[in-house]
Amino acid sequence: MSDLVSLPATTRTRGPLPRALLVGLFIVGLQLVIALMTLVWTPYDPSALAGQRLEAPSLIHLAGTDRLGRDLFTLIMIGARIALTVGCGAILIGGLIGVTIGLAAAFAARTLDDVFAAGLDILIAFPTLLIAMLIVASSDGASLWTATLAIGVANSAIVARLTRILGKRVLALDYITAARISGSSWLSIVFRHVLPNIWPTLMVNLALQFGLAVIAEASLSYLGLGTPPPNASWGRLLQEAQATVQTAPLGAIAPGLALVALVIGINLLADGLRDLSDPARRSA
Amino acid sequence: MSNLRGGEILGKGMKAAAMATAMMLVTLAGGQAAAADFDPDATINIGSLYEPQNLDNTAGAGQGLNEAFNGNVYEALFSLADDGTVQPALAKDTKISEDGLTYTFALQPGVTFHSGKALTSKDVKFSIERVTSADSKSSRKNSLKPITSIETPDDSTVVIKLSSRSISLPYNLSYVSIVSETAKDLTSKEDGTGPYKLASWRRGSALALARFDGYWGAKPSNGDVVFHYFTEATALNNALLTGAVDIITSVQSPDSLAQFKDNKDFTVAEGKSTTKLLLAYNDRVAPFDNVKVRKALARAVDDAKLLKAVWGDYGTLIGSFVPPTDPWYVDLTKTDAYDPESAKALLKEAGYPDGFSFTLDTPNYDPHPIAAQFLQSELAKVGVKVKINIITANEWYTKVYKAHDFQATLQEHVNHRDIVFYGNPDFYWGYNNPEVVDLIKQAEASTTTDEQTAKLKKANEIIAEDAASNWLYLYPQIVVSAKSVTGYPLNGLNAQFYVSGIKKAD
Repeated sequence: MSDLVSLPATTRTRGPLPRALLVGLFIVGLQLVIALMTLVWTPYDPSALAGQRLEAPSLIHLAGTDRLGRDLFTLIMIGARIALTVGCGAILIGGLIGVTIGLAAAFAARTLDDVFAAGLDILIAFPTLLIAMLIVASSDGASLWTATLAIGVANSAIVARLTRILGKRVLALDYITAARISGSSWLSIVFRHVLPNIWPTLMVNLALQFGLAVIAEASLSYLGLGTPPPNASWGRLLQEAQATVQTAPLGAIAPGLALVALVIGINLLADGLRDLSDPARRSA
Repeated sequence: MSNLRGGEILGKGMKAAAMATAMMLVTLAGGQAAAADFDPDATINIGSLYEPQNLDNTAGAGQGLNEAFNGNVYEALFSLADDGTVQPALAKDTKISEDGLTYTFALQPGVTFHSGKALTSKDVKFSIERVTSADSKSSRKNSLKPITSIETPDDSTVVIKLSSRSISLPYNLSYVSIVSETAKDLTSKEDGTGPYKLASWRRGSALALARFDGYWGAKPSNGDVVFHYFTEATALNNALLTGAVDIITSVQSPDSLAQFKDNKDFTVAEGKSTTKLLLAYNDRVAPFDNVKVRKALARAVDDAKLLKAVWGDYGTLIGSFVPPTDPWYVDLTKTDAYDPESAKALLKEAGYPDGFSFTLDTPNYDPHPIAAQFLQSELAKVGVKVKINIITANEWYTKVYKAHDFQATLQEHVNHRDIVFYGNPDFYWGYNNPEVVDLIKQAEASTTTDEQTAKLKKANEIIAEDAASNWLYLYPQIVVSAKSVTGYPLNGLNAQFYVSGIKKAD
């Protein structure tokens, strides 16, 4: 109860919400709304050949049409859904695996920790592309799921390394020793002391990883290792527009802009979150 | 007839830029320049996307070598002319025995190699055996199988004995580059008899040819020729715009043509290609083992609309695998023409009133993904669901071509005279009609080309009637050049690009 009452007061002492956070929230929120909207409505059926080849933008086709005469705006809207789905999925996978491994490493005895550290360094050196190719090769072709898994696995190494370092720092503090002596279990230390302490830094990092995941999804789709047609991914739209980039540059510019906007939005969001969680701000 | 292997049947993407897709060709019809207003010693700069892997066709050089070397640096006993006919080259005279099993070739007199050595029958024997030897990677190896012996009774006579009649022997020999038997390191050097010798090759950048003054035939109308290699079409187009190259051997996107078409400084020429885009079914497996299903799918796809989407106003519709430059071409575009209503009826007759679904293995490079989505949308209208599975060129080769582990696939086939693939039941698409197999075998054993042509025409018609595959369209062959340059080959037969007739205005 007392928390509820005191919360507005603390927020006030932190000053207004960072502008970066607001702009980021707006961009990401807008794309999220569009993405959700495609589940129930799009201007055209995405695979319908609704217009002529490479029509210029008009009120009928807001971003023009592609070579097959499909409505580009519809495809870009669906692209937002794909990007956000893969991004969220990858962060979830990367976060779960990464935090688990990272904490295990932080708790592990010295020799085991060295093994973890070396293993993570090797995993980080693996390009997402290679992981994606391995996963696609061992499954029944590329899909939304293989792309998400590949990006998530690649993410997890980075998250794990960060978690390990942050975790070790917290574990070295005196009150952890005190908690151990007082008989707190391993799990209770993790959930009551370690996670709450490293969470702000971790969250900012995950947000940044989210932006990278969106770019990774576009790259994989560009190479044909992402979501298969007819699901429009921005990466594949870029690839398909490459052949006509001289006469119909909008085909490449529009999905490119959507991608850039989303990633900038996510990064601003991450920036804002960092500012919020920065103790230095409180005194400011 | 050839049973081509590996890379050569496949298009450009198959090895990124290495394999040529669109093949050009040979005609000096590109423009007879007004008399003598050209520079006889000009350097012709040619821009291409297809750099050879090495300089030896028996060592997997790729189609880029055909483009740069065939007819330019190397010559063969015969040459494949622009209209698809086979002309004598180093073989001045040919005698065929009554039973068709012995060919006696009299060599062109006065021919010397670039090294200065005179051409003898031993060089010819050496060159053919290089292609047929066990470790040769030549795609023409199989087609020369009927050869049982090569004799050299004197320096200017070659006698080839066959185990069975092979009316395509001269055609197949047009792929056998004649090299000196003393030549060494042929993957990086050459010793041919052509109008040009190799001046330099900077890997990844350019291959320079210089006029060979000791050439036995007509003197080239230019001084030297440099092939500049690009890995990316936009960079290549910019090179032509800025004058860094004079000619682009094969334009791969209609939309990049706009900048040349309306510009008086450039010539855009459309020739005939042999590159076909196919929806190839695995004819061994249900439901594609059913002729009615294949015919229904052929009728369900509006090929003209697809061609328009990919190539704008360029390209040609085809009704079978045979392009108009093959002697056995028949206009079969009316067979199973676009008619979705009758497609639905046929599917019902075949026992699929509600359609069916299948996986389409789609190579990951243009135009396959866009074509796959078009097919998906077209076939959905007759109730057939397509699941698009994007694969790499290597996967295509191992999964589809080698293991036959697929339901249907998209692929571009580049070769000239490749109807023979339908006479091979072990080919990846597994089409097996004994009548066609027999016709194609008989055609090869024909005594006259008329007989061969008649048999292959018949086979062609049966294949189309069977809807063995779904032939979507024939690629255009587009050459763009600076206005000052004329006399280059226009057509796309087997990637060759004869340069000796190219003229550059002063």
